[in-house]
Amino acid sequence: MLYTVNKAPLSASSLSSVLRIAPVGAPVLLYEDGVYAAVPGAQSAAMVESMLSGHPIYALDADLEARGIRSVIRGIHVISYDGFVELVEQHDVAPWL
Amino acid sequence: MSEVAVLMRKAPYGTVYTAEGFRTLMGIAVFEMEISVVFVDDGVYALVAGQAPGKLDMKPLGDAFPMLSEFGVTDFYVHDESLQERGLTADDLVMDVTIVDSAQVAHILESAGKVLPF
Repeated sequence: MLYTVNKAPLSASSLSSVLRIAPVGAPVLLYEDGVYAAVPGAQSAAMVESMLSGHPIYALDADLEARGIRSVIRGIHVISYDGFVELVEQHDVAPWL
Repeated sequence: MSEVAVLMRKAPYGTVYTAEGFRTLMGIAVFEMEISVVFVDDGVYALVAGQAPGKLDMKPLGDAFPMLSEFGVTDFYVHDESLQERGLTADDLVMDVTIVDSAQVAHILESAGKVLPF
């Protein structure tokens, strides 16, 4: 199951909720305001770094670019819309809106 | 002169709040009101430099705020803790702003009296 998060980590609990529910190994996709969780040095970074040991994490490049985010936490896979489509083809989706 | 504070608390692009807040600023600037623009929580993301939302088919909102000075809107305040929590500093922003602490944010809102939230 692919867990998708589109809310920023400090003003919404979506990402911490996914962390609590998603079984180890489940991929997590950050898109729209969810990509703010990929920013190194943010207060949420420790949570994301600990998540990386149990989950592949992806972030959508168009949403990173839009928000001026030039670097992401090491280990996060930056993907394009094509990569997004591939993930959705490979997995059922649990949207954590 | 009438005073108003425009309070920005949402990230750009994910919702329409930032764009609508900007439109409101343009609108009320015409009436020569004394306007303070205050960025708190995810609102600080609106001023991050280097926004390029072309792939989302949107216009960069960050670049719009510095242009407001041409309409007499020059008092921009950014909450220090909101920046720090997000791994940002004043150097990451598109323009020179006044960095303020929580008590100063409260004071700005209080002295304006009227707060327009976005």
